[in-house]
Amino acid sequence: MREITYAEAIREALRQEMSLDDNVFIFGEDVGQFGGCFGVTAGLYEEFGPERVMDTPISESAILGAALGSALMGLRPVPELMFSDFTTVCFDYLTNQAPKVRYMCGGQVEKLPMVVRTTTGGWIRAAGQHSQSLEGWFTQVPGLKVVTPATPHDAKGLLTACLRDNNPILYLEHKVLYSVSGPVPEEEYIVPLGQAEIKKEGTDVTLISYSLMLNKTLSVAEQLAADGISAEVIDLRTLSPLDHDTLARSVQKTHKAVVIQEAVEVGGVAAQVVKSLVDSSFEYLDAPIKTVAACNTVIPFSPPLEDAMLPNEEKILAAAKEVLG
Amino acid sequence: MKPVGIIANPASGKDIRRLVAYGSVFDNNEKVNIVKRVILGLDSMGVKEIVFMPDYFGIGVRAMEDLDVSLTGSFLDMQTENTQDDSARAAEIMKSLGVACIVTLGGDGTNRVVAKTCADTLLLPISTGTNNVFPYMVEGTLAGLAAGVTALNSEWRKDFSRQVPQLEIRRGSQLIDIALVDVVVSKPGFIASRALWDMTTIQEIFLSRTQPGQIGFSSIGSHIFELAGANGRGVHIIIGPGHQKVKAPIAPGLIPWVPVKAYRIFEPNEAIPLSHAPAMIALDGEREWVEGKKSRIKIVFNPKGPWVVDIPRALQKATEERLFLTNNSKEVE
Amino acid sequence: MELSKEKLLDMYKTMVSIREFEQSLSEAVTAGTLPGFVHLGIGQEAIHVGVTTALRPTDWVSSTHRDHGMLLARGADIKRMRAEIFGKVTGYCKGKGGSMHLAAFDKGAPGCNGILGPSQTINNGIALALKKRGQGDIAVVVFGDGAAHRGEFHEALNLAACWKLPVLAICVNNQYAISVCFDDACAIEDIAARSSGYGIPGLVVDGNDVMAVYEAISETAKSIREDKGPALLELKTRRFKGHFEGDPQSYKTPEEVAEEMKNDPIPLFVKQLLEQEITTEETLKGIDDEVKKEMQEAIEFAEQSDYPPLEEIFTDLYYEERRNV
Repeated sequence: MREITYAEAIREALRQEMSLDDNVFIFGEDVGQFGGCFGVTAGLYEEFGPERVMDTPISESAILGAALGSALMGLRPVPELMFSDFTTVCFDYLTNQAPKVRYMCGGQVEKLPMVVRTTTGGWIRAAGQHSQSLEGWFTQVPGLKVVTPATPHDAKGLLTACLRDNNPILYLEHKVLYSVSGPVPEEEYIVPLGQAEIKKEGTDVTLISYSLMLNKTLSVAEQLAADGISAEVIDLRTLSPLDHDTLARSVQKTHKAVVIQEAVEVGGVAAQVVKSLVDSSFEYLDAPIKTVAACNTVIPFSPPLEDAMLPNEEKILAAAKEVLG
Repeated sequence: MKPVGIIANPASGKDIRRLVAYGSVFDNNEKVNIVKRVILGLDSMGVKEIVFMPDYFGIGVRAMEDLDVSLTGSFLDMQTENTQDDSARAAEIMKSLGVACIVTLGGDGTNRVVAKTCADTLLLPISTGTNNVFPYMVEGTLAGLAAGVTALNSEWRKDFSRQVPQLEIRRGSQLIDIALVDVVVSKPGFIASRALWDMTTIQEIFLSRTQPGQIGFSSIGSHIFELAGANGRGVHIIIGPGHQKVKAPIAPGLIPWVPVKAYRIFEPNEAIPLSHAPAMIALDGEREWVEGKKSRIKIVFNPKGPWVVDIPRALQKATEERLFLTNNSKEVE
Repeated sequence: MELSKEKLLDMYKTMVSIREFEQSLSEAVTAGTLPGFVHLGIGQEAIHVGVTTALRPTDWVSSTHRDHGMLLARGADIKRMRAEIFGKVTGYCKGKGGSMHLAAFDKGAPGCNGILGPSQTINNGIALALKKRGQGDIAVVVFGDGAAHRGEFHEALNLAACWKLPVLAICVNNQYAISVCFDDACAIEDIAARSSGYGIPGLVVDGNDVMAVYEAISETAKSIREDKGPALLELKTRRFKGHFEGDPQSYKTPEEVAEEMKNDPIPLFVKQLLEQEITTEETLKGIDDEVKKEMQEAIEFAEQSDYPPLEEIFTDLYYEERRNV
């Protein structure tokens, strides 16, 4: 199968869906003629024109507001926020607005298709306000789905699924993964939302992660395999709603779990996964569940500091070894 | 040395003509700038005292701020209601204070209400809009200098003042109201946004002047060849299909063909009743009230309306009196 | 602009219906039977009726917490509105929205947004969809003098002007944002003056005169339908009751309140109708009686309706699931 990058896979999902459905349109800062600050939407403006790929002023509230309003009217907007760190300036739309409209109007509106694409994560030396992993905040909003691919294959399939979903969705693309290549089918396909995937089967310990950390976790699983340890690696893919069943089945099999997230260690998806496992599989656990996360501090600029503060393979390996005893 | 009065109505962008035509309105900050220039002109001529009509925006207050002048500015002690009645009341008080002239900033409407109460006090009307006939499009500094001249010597008044005509709406012998430029009679309806722009509702027009080169309903009169020389008399036009059509700029950017059924010139001694009743009466471009079926009002042309300052003549007088010259080097410092 | 006698009487009836509706809510608050808060628009009926009379049924109008009257004027069912305010399942939102999220989407009325600001940006999305449909419909958003200072005011108008969206932004300036007087919260006299900062027309209108409102909205809507871009109107008025019903308005002197009520839009309209001999006092009294009867029916309907069943706690959250798993 041909290999393309994570960024190209996202672009392909967008292009294929925009060709199939005239209601799908993209807008955001620099997405049009510039092709996006990370190059993800390159070529789409030329192919679909300014009515379907629209450049905007620096106005995140106006961007998400326009997305919500047009979704209410039957269009399928795909607004882009350049960095997830900027969700803060348009927070209302991801919390009080889009996720609540259908509920508060008693279902007068049924479809609310709004896929908010944004970038996440660190390691690009962009410091405290451009490197965060903020997905945790949004998993606590009922009515909003949160999705994040770890591979080019999932990037295309998950995004296609999001574009066909009829709910407000926050779709997080890790900046470092943009240039990573992987096998991606040429035709359109979906990767279902709400389903975690066992990326590597195993028997001795369950390692649960997502996004860039999932890739680091897979490397650690290989290192463990060299030591004769069979780790099962689960990619959450959809952070909200969580796939509790896949998590339970795995941990009931391996009896040990480590949860890895790039976000800071206080709160977040890892804490939710721990709660899920405690609720479903407490009697099956042979050891306390460990989590690996960033230090609870601001992401510093200086490269050695950033590298030390964010979770890495050493920390993941150490945590796995600890639960294995 | 007499004081000079300033009446500046704050603009509130109420004019719907900004939308239905291409009218612009000087915003209040621009008015403050104009008044500053007027004050500097007055001060330069040696005027010692200015009286301002108070307004909610504080045009006078802001204009006096940070100005290096030796004159003093004071504010009339009056209640303001933020309606056009404020201007009428202010003019009345200024007249009783014996001001040499009243500088106004506004359109035909502002000057209309000032003219109702200012009697023979000189007016120097500065235009702050595009839909104006009565006030002058003049730069504020020159207006200030000319107004200053009026304050220096009452004997000079006849050299630079003119009396302009007005239309009077009378019921019997009682004067109900005046218009400086036009009385437009249209189909009865609601006063609503007050401005007039829809020619299909207009039935007849009375004009106090028809000089070419004016915008508004009076241009209908100016563009009818025979009436171009009607100065000194009133003009009455009946709107409707018949006779001919007249192309006229009735509002900024609005140049419709107006169907004219009939027209005549009328003399100062005539009193013309309305051709239709009930009807909406608009004075100087603003709807004012509805006359009922049994209306008895009549329109009269009065050549002796308000007195206005002729600015070039005022400045010429100043030159003749050598007011702009000095041999005293101390004065120049 | 010519309105028929029937239409004018219809306008009168709607204004009186709104007044009755709001008065009866006031009575319910005094009686202690109304759950939560209501914000009454007594004194602002000219705005509700003037605006809606000037618009097409296919236009959209988003409004505020003080605008039960706007929904009524758009043709919303008075019984379902009352039921919603009392949290009954027969309400527009199945009782899940209440007064602060009352919406009638089938009347092109997304209704009240509980957060001030987003309605302005969301309206842009509605306008974008209407523009794409190409029927000449416009998207109207009504907001108060308080909301005009939120960042969304700026972001929304700038984007609407850049994209030349068919937006009519209406600021209802009743001089008070809860207890803070407009002069203390705004550096300029007229919100409409900000229009020049966006290159769009701005007008100030007497919000107490229903015909002045009707005329201004008609002309503005016409201009927007001709693709001349958005406009900002400011309707100056007063609210006769407190911010919420129960607020004693200690921030106004009794003299000020008495002065405000002199500009009651309903007697003003009655005077105009009688002076122009469009109708008689007898006819108007007949209409008043009709309205009282309809109001009584609505009160009974709401009283006799049930609360929603507990299952409704979980419905309308996600498009497909209808249950929060």
